Amino acid sequence: MSSSSRQTREGWSRIAAWRSQHRSAATSSWQKLIARPVATGMVWLVVAISLALPGAMLLTLDNLRPLIPDLERPAQVSVMLDGELDLEQAEALQRELGTWDTVEDVTLVRRDEALVVFGEQTGLSGLLTSLDHNPLPHALLVSPTAPRTNTALSQLVKAIDGLSGVDRVIVDSQWMSRLDQALLATERWGLALGAAMVLGAILALANTLHFAIDARREEILVVRVIGGSPGFIRRPFLYTGLYFGAGGGVLAGLMLWALSLWIAGPVNALFALYGSPGQIQSPGVGYPSALIALGAGLGWLTSWTASARYFSRLDAS
Amino acid sequence: MIEFERVSRRFGDQDALRNLSLTIEQGEMAFLTGHSGAGKSTLLRLLLLLDRPSSGDIRVNGEPTSKIRSRMVPRYRRRFGVVFQDHRLLFDRSVHDNVALPLVMAGFSPTDTARRVRAALDKVGLLYHEQANPAVLSGGEQQRVGIARAVVARPEFLIADEPTGNLDPQLSSEIMSLFEAFNQVGVTVLVATHDLPLISRLRHRIITLHEGRLAGVRAQ
Repeated sequence: MSSSSRQTREGWSRIAAWRSQHRSAATSSWQKLIARPVATGMVWLVVAISLALPGAMLLTLDNLRPLIPDLERPAQVSVMLDGELDLEQAEALQRELGTWDTVEDVTLVRRDEALVVFGEQTGLSGLLTSLDHNPLPHALLVSPTAPRTNTALSQLVKAIDGLSGVDRVIVDSQWMSRLDQALLATERWGLALGAAMVLGAILALANTLHFAIDARREEILVVRVIGGSPGFIRRPFLYTGLYFGAGGGVLAGLMLWALSLWIAGPVNALFALYGSPGQIQSPGVGYPSALIALGAGLGWLTSWTASARYFSRLDAS
Repeated sequence: MIEFERVSRRFGDQDALRNLSLTIEQGEMAFLTGHSGAGKSTLLRLLLLLDRPSSGDIRVNGEPTSKIRSRMVPRYRRRFGVVFQDHRLLFDRSVHDNVALPLVMAGFSPTDTARRVRAALDKVGLLYHEQANPAVLSGGEQQRVGIARAVVARPEFLIADEPTGNLDPQLSSEIMSLFEAFNQVGVTVLVATHDLPLISRLRHRIITLHEGRLAGVRAQ
């Protein structure tokens, strides 16, 4: 009688056997980990720090992103008219520009208005009244129609600049490009640093797992001789890797929560000072879940690689 | 049936086995002897596919082992029960769990496993130590746990490498009696040993190796 027919008769399928092997590997690996709480805790901390730092960086960027639309006020083109142009001519230009497809709105800033505003903003009103004539020209504030791409904007600027009576066209959009680039640079820097930290986590895990495997060398050798498959031998180590990684992920999630709670006060105050209704965005459930999944995945894969390397060297020896 | 046909194993310019041909019949019990370095361990390693011959063929029940793919090697090894000189028990688990290992590997159900483990421990007279840690047992008891582990999955072949190497004559003779008992229920047994005084009293074939060659066979 073959062993397979005996197993079928007792209702013990291959799947049930496989599940039972997983259960016992999962349990024994867990017991081995908690039997050495300090060593395990240190591995968890290393993994947690390596995951929490990139996580914190992504969370910061997530917090910054919603603020950007606030800053992206419609780009405006300031058109300084020739000093000799009188009000009527300026209004004629305003009407003409208003008919353009590429222009959404044109506001005329009269030279006397501009002088008053300038005086108020600079506190030089007294000095300005002593001038015998207004040095400011009339000006037009032109809002381009959407989409306000860089090419559309530069074409518009060129067209306006070509009109007679226009002295100078000023586009106040450079600071936005700078901000864009600064954010992009920060994001890339964060990603590079994050990748380095995750690589560090992988190396730390690989090293720890190598020692965990090596500590059970005798067992591996015995099980191999008596017919244990590579999968059977590897299984407990895969669980060890999984626990190391997932545990580190849990700890990283907690760190992120603690961090965001800690800095929420000052950051929210900062938002308020800038008159923004924004609130700091907590890591929620998504961030910790992602960190745990990432940690578990890294642990499992690292353990797979470390055991494969170990076994192939064992075969070669 | 185990057949070695003109098997050689060379390590560098050293020959561990030279042109060795021998047959172990189905249901036979045989001893493999010779000085250390004679090739006993190499022969057992080749049989368990822990190593491959430089030339020649090894056939088990007519099937050439050279045809066995590495993926199928674990399944092939489960046809053998292996007893080591230093018994190689795992001290991080109970006697029961040590003996159960081959059954867990092969995917037996927990109830079936428990029943077979108890039967195997009963056979080697250690049932009352089932839950003990093997570290607290004596050398002879540890070796008997090793034997229980080797036979628990009812293998076709029982292979032992110096199983009495660390035991006194009384215990050694008990261990050999155990092997004979398994042989009597149909298991093919091959024991590598240099305990000549002990095996010369037993009525089994003795295969002697010398410098990797077959030096002599004493019929049973």
